[in-house]
Amino acid sequence: MPAAGAEYDRAPANLAIVAAMDPPHSDTPDTPDASDPALRVKALESLLVQKGLVDPAALDALVQLYEHEVGPRNGARVVARAWLDPAFKGRLLADGTAAIAELGYSGQQGEKLTVVENTPSAHNVIVCTLCSCYPWPLLGLPPTWYKSAAYRSRTVADPRGVLRELGLALREDVTVHVWDSNAASRYLVLPIRPAGTEALPEAQLAALVTRDAMIGVAQIAPPRAPGARS
Amino acid sequence: MNGIHDMGGMQGLGEIGYAPDAVAFHEPWEVRVHALSTALAAFGKWRGLRPPLESIPAADYLALSYYERWLWAVTERIVESGLATRAEIERGAPDARAPRAAPALRGADARAAPLARPRTELDAAVPARFRVSQRVRGANLNPATHTRMPRYTRGKVGVIERDRGVFALPDRDVYFLDPKPQHVYLVRFEARELWGAAAPARDALFIDLWEDYLEPA
Repeated sequence: MPAAGAEYDRAPANLAIVAAMDPPHSDTPDTPDASDPALRVKALESLLVQKGLVDPAALDALVQLYEHEVGPRNGARVVARAWLDPAFKGRLLADGTAAIAELGYSGQQGEKLTVVENTPSAHNVIVCTLCSCYPWPLLGLPPTWYKSAAYRSRTVADPRGVLRELGLALREDVTVHVWDSNAASRYLVLPIRPAGTEALPEAQLAALVTRDAMIGVAQIAPPRAPGARS
Repeated sequence: MNGIHDMGGMQGLGEIGYAPDAVAFHEPWEVRVHALSTALAAFGKWRGLRPPLESIPAADYLALSYYERWLWAVTERIVESGLATRAEIERGAPDARAPRAAPALRGADARAAPLARPRTELDAAVPARFRVSQRVRGANLNPATHTRMPRYTRGKVGVIERDRGVFALPDRDVYFLDPKPQHVYLVRFEARELWGAAAPARDALFIDLWEDYLEPA
């Protein structure tokens, strides 16, 4: 394969080092070469700061944002509001980007947001086969499994098998809709509101909503019995 | 390109490694690569990381973790755009003769950049070739360069579900070529059309496809 070889020859030396070591498993953080990319990133960051290309305060602000400020609590609030307010739900399903802006959410990877509603007869699940497209403003950055080769490759062709493996067994008469979010739009699943939540206020409803239910690989469990604190 | 990144429908790619409490970042350096990428993208010298990510040789692509791939792609972008040289990166120190640059994002501004309401849709008045409910077929395109058309849609017949509006064609836009503004359509493919008779009858897949990727069926 001359083309691949030519690519490889152009690779920085550090890639060759990584490739020569045990392949890091994407789901185990403590791989033998975990310190190697850490050192390379530290060196790269230092170089870019010394060159004046990167402001350390800007980097710290971005790290804080990505680690702590964008995350599934945003999406959960949107879902809870949609469960409680039919007019908001209508706007959310019609134009997701405009509706989440009402609650103050916007940003990269939130453009053209399409919210798809689960019902007792139809289940939606989201994947990005080409990369890792994901609605950052509502869910934060995607979990490792969402970016795994297995999830990306299998979900489009065998969604029921993938969901079963992830613990969600759907009845055969439930239609499955897969959304491959590769392009202009990002997707969020509006899960089914569980039974027994009729009296709950928005904040308590939001606390029930999980990230994985908004990706479509889980359903939302009914609230725990009174007295059983999570 | 028909690269390893175009994985939809492939088999034998290992375990999903699912955990309900899985996190986005496993190591402190990972989020820093993400932050570095944002801070550098603000220079406007490149359009996304996909082309370099998709150019990683297949065996390396599968061997590297997600953020190791990002580190590779950001490094390639830095070098090809001239923000720093390969020698500087390997040395970890600037060339003594290089002039000091000014950052594209500073302090608190940095936080606002990813939160700004994006607008990727174009206002260009471009006529739509297809209408909702029309049957379309995925074109037989095999570019060696970046595209957003997964190979599993090629030659398959689907139905236009929604007209998304007008967008730049990434196949050209990521290379700063004439973006060829055109309609993007949400297309519905029946699972059996994509995967054969063994697929459940009512299941379906939805995907956004640029007009150039489609032809009338």
